[in-house]
Amino acid sequence: MKRRIARKTVQLSSIGLLFLVPFLNRKGITVITGTLYSLAVGPVWLTDPVIGVQTVLTTRRFDPTLLLSLLLPVALAFVLGRVFCSWVCPQNTLSELFDVVADRTGIRRLFTLPFTPVLRYAVLILVLLASLLLRFPVVSLLSAPGIISVQAANLVYEDSVGLELGLIALIVLLEVFVVRRAWCNHLCPVGSFLGLLRTAKTMKVSFSESPARSCVSCGVCADACGLGLDPMAGKVYSFCHNCGNCIAACEGVKNKENPLSFHFSGR
Amino acid sequence: MRDRLLRPPGALPEREFLATCIRCGKCKQSCLYGAIRMAGLLDGLEIMGTPVIRPRTVPCYLCMKCPPACPSGALKRTLTKKEEVRMGTAIIDKNTCLTWQGTLCRSCFDDCPIFDEAIKMDDKLQPVVVKDKCVGCGVCENVCPVEPAAIVAQPGGKA
Repeated sequence: MKRRIARKTVQLSSIGLLFLVPFLNRKGITVITGTLYSLAVGPVWLTDPVIGVQTVLTTRRFDPTLLLSLLLPVALAFVLGRVFCSWVCPQNTLSELFDVVADRTGIRRLFTLPFTPVLRYAVLILVLLASLLLRFPVVSLLSAPGIISVQAANLVYEDSVGLELGLIALIVLLEVFVVRRAWCNHLCPVGSFLGLLRTAKTMKVSFSESPARSCVSCGVCADACGLGLDPMAGKVYSFCHNCGNCIAACEGVKNKENPLSFHFSGR
Repeated sequence: MRDRLLRPPGALPEREFLATCIRCGKCKQSCLYGAIRMAGLLDGLEIMGTPVIRPRTVPCYLCMKCPPACPSGALKRTLTKKEEVRMGTAIIDKNTCLTWQGTLCRSCFDDCPIFDEAIKMDDKLQPVVVKDKCVGCGVCENVCPVEPAAIVAQPGGKA
């Protein structure tokens, strides 16, 4: 439960910072600058890993400063998984919000897609290939967190936002009416790439039963998953962004030890 | 009308710039004067999200904060001297310039950041642009009292 409150707090603070950072920048305070494409926190530079790869492909050059700025985000993904998506990304926060709205209003989506990573990696390969061949930053134009943060800055600087937000509106409409969480689960190149940055030791939700921690198959974990995954079925790693909702939901049901937990090794 | 866009100091040649810029807007956030604006979708998909300077609104005052802020190298981060900037070159329309038409005015000469080098007064006290020294910042275009401006920063990086 504590973790859940912590996550919501970080999600909302991140959105606050999207406005606060440009506001302070405009006043000449530049401790933090940038957007969710690339940030500078003091002397530490952080760039979205897939944007880094895109730029190597479009420029066909290795820029040491750019590559260095990928280091921490890549390391974070290798250790904790796609926590950028679940804790920071404003598109995910927005999608979670509209998911709740859709559930409460009883909207039924037109389609369900099977959880196979084929589609998301096909999209990722396609946009990276397009970047390489066109020598044009296609991924930048499709980065929902990037677009939202740049437009937040535009709003602060110019009291206006760009039509790029149309993509965000399309994503919301798609997820509410067509396929549940379609962008985050199947299309987003930012999340798909972060999902590739994993080893057997990357943090994951593990499901393990023992006499002390038995599962009653009540399904609250699957209900709690904002992405529509089933933690009991396992093997959802490339989709799961380690938000921990399933673990928290299970804690509410049982007074025995929780069969679901975060683990750095094994299944 | 400009045929190309005026980019921030240190920008790579336009084709390379479009390939390298990741559209992150960090240069805009580092600009002390609000001179850098992001191009929108209506400006064209190709340039959407890239930084543009429109000198008649706010020119570049050559504070040199943006080149070192660029994460992708679309702006040359090593550029620190304002004299080495080559965003473009100012061009005077002698048919509308007040001084060239016989009225005394030296707005562009007075406000040029590369003072008495990029814009010089000739022996008849008429302004002339020294192409090798002009950095293309557009301050002259901003202060020109004629509408539309009789001196315009023509984009086109020489470096």
